[in-house]
Amino acid sequence: MNKDILIIGGGIAGMQASLDLGDMGMQVHLVEKLTCIGGKMAQLDKTFPTNDCAI
Amino acid sequence: MAYSLVENVTGSKGDFTVTVRKKARYVNENLCTGCGACAEKCPTIVSDNYNMGLGKRKAIYRHYAQGIPSIFCIDTDHCRTFQGKKCGVCEKVCQAKAIDYKQQDKTLELKVGAIILATGYDLFDATRIPEYGYGRLANVINAMEFERLLSASGPTEGHVERPSDLRDHHLIGTMEKGLKKSTKSLASYEKKHKMSSDDFYKQFTAGNISDGDEFPKWAKQYENVQEATKKLDELKAKAEEFDIATRLAFIQCVGSRDFRFNKYCSSYCCMHSIKEAMMAKDHDARTEAYIFNMDLRTVGKGFEEYKVRGAEQVGLHYIRGRVAEITQDENENPVIWYEETTSQTVKSMPVDLAVLAVACEAPKGIEKMAELVGAELDENRFFKTHPLQPLDTTVPGIFVCGCAQAPMDIPESVAQASSAASRAAETIAGN
Repeated sequence: MNKDILIIGGGIAGMQASLDLGDMGMQVHLVEKLTCIGGKMAQLDKTFPTNDCAI
Repeated sequence: MAYSLVENVTGSKGDFTVTVRKKARYVNENLCTGCGACAEKCPTIVSDNYNMGLGKRKAIYRHYAQGIPSIFCIDTDHCRTFQGKKCGVCEKVCQAKAIDYKQQDKTLELKVGAIILATGYDLFDATRIPEYGYGRLANVINAMEFERLLSASGPTEGHVERPSDLRDHHLIGTMEKGLKKSTKSLASYEKKHKMSSDDFYKQFTAGNISDGDEFPKWAKQYENVQEATKKLDELKAKAEEFDIATRLAFIQCVGSRDFRFNKYCSSYCCMHSIKEAMMAKDHDARTEAYIFNMDLRTVGKGFEEYKVRGAEQVGLHYIRGRVAEITQDENENPVIWYEETTSQTVKSMPVDLAVLAVACEAPKGIEKMAELVGAELDENRFFKTHPLQPLDTTVPGIFVCGCAQAPMDIPESVAQASSAASRAAETIAGN
């Protein structure tokens, strides 16, 4: 049994899954095709329904 | 691992072998401090994808300022050095000595027990609906482009400027540069013949100038400068009247709930249009926003209340009627043609800016990814899952979450991500 976990995609879903597994003490490999993580959410201005900043 | 691609996946649940290619940034990750001196001095200006083509970046760049890893990257398609031209400016100015033109891609092999697919989505290409004018009419944009206009760190610093006005401002800059050049060439004639171009032209048209190859050329150049100056002055006068877009139309279901394209509902676009309309009104109280919809689907905790607040407190207008066509008037104002179903009449409404709430689609490379991992896609090109096990793909040990599974908003994506993490952890624990 390999104990590492691969996550493909560094947007909000990939980042959340990485954090949860990391907090559990697992070794995560997060692979993202762009030069940094953040995905579509990083392009948004504000998010509903609180109108908080996306970043 | 950012700027990396999964190239091969073999094995099975509990024992996968994954090949990852870490692409060369041509910047040493351990040395780069993210100071940005390289980008400041880079001479090559390129269209910026992060700002949906509305802004510019340099050939050495960061995707966005707050991005992690905060390490610059050279875009070899545009970098002068990689295109065989003389440059090397970034290497000269980098105080951390982080530029490395000789850097190579690296290939790594990972042994993992479980895989989570969180590959997200692409926006529907609205040029596929030609009657909406996206890509043809300057002031018809999609929702993500509008987000970048609204953003204080975006290409217009948060001012909702019309793309036609941005284009004209840019054109003024280009014309001014060209005029400067042409005027310089006139100056060289003036110096040589010791008279002003105005005097020369008067004499030339009166037939008082002797023969010579140069003189017709000088006259032509003078005429060109006069013409260009006139055009520039006209455009500058027009630009004086420019204001931000205050009359906004939001068109829902562009590519969604549409038998021609995607039958499904993209789930979050009613909410994001209401949000965008609210934020635009927040920027400028003169804003009037009209949201053209079949339904306003605001399912979620607090979402119905948000929609009602939009109408009652913020003054947004919700118009029930699908938009048939968007045309344009002589001032490049988009004109929305729609049936107002409550009165059963066909109407038209000119606005400053039309924002298309485009569908959420599976990304372009999804078929390749599916083949790589051996997972099936459903009829809408999202990863196939069973309704009672929505995080499990058709391959044991490989899970999916977020928009890779189906269109969903941020709270749902985050909830699915935690669920997928739990499924992956169960796998590692031996289930």
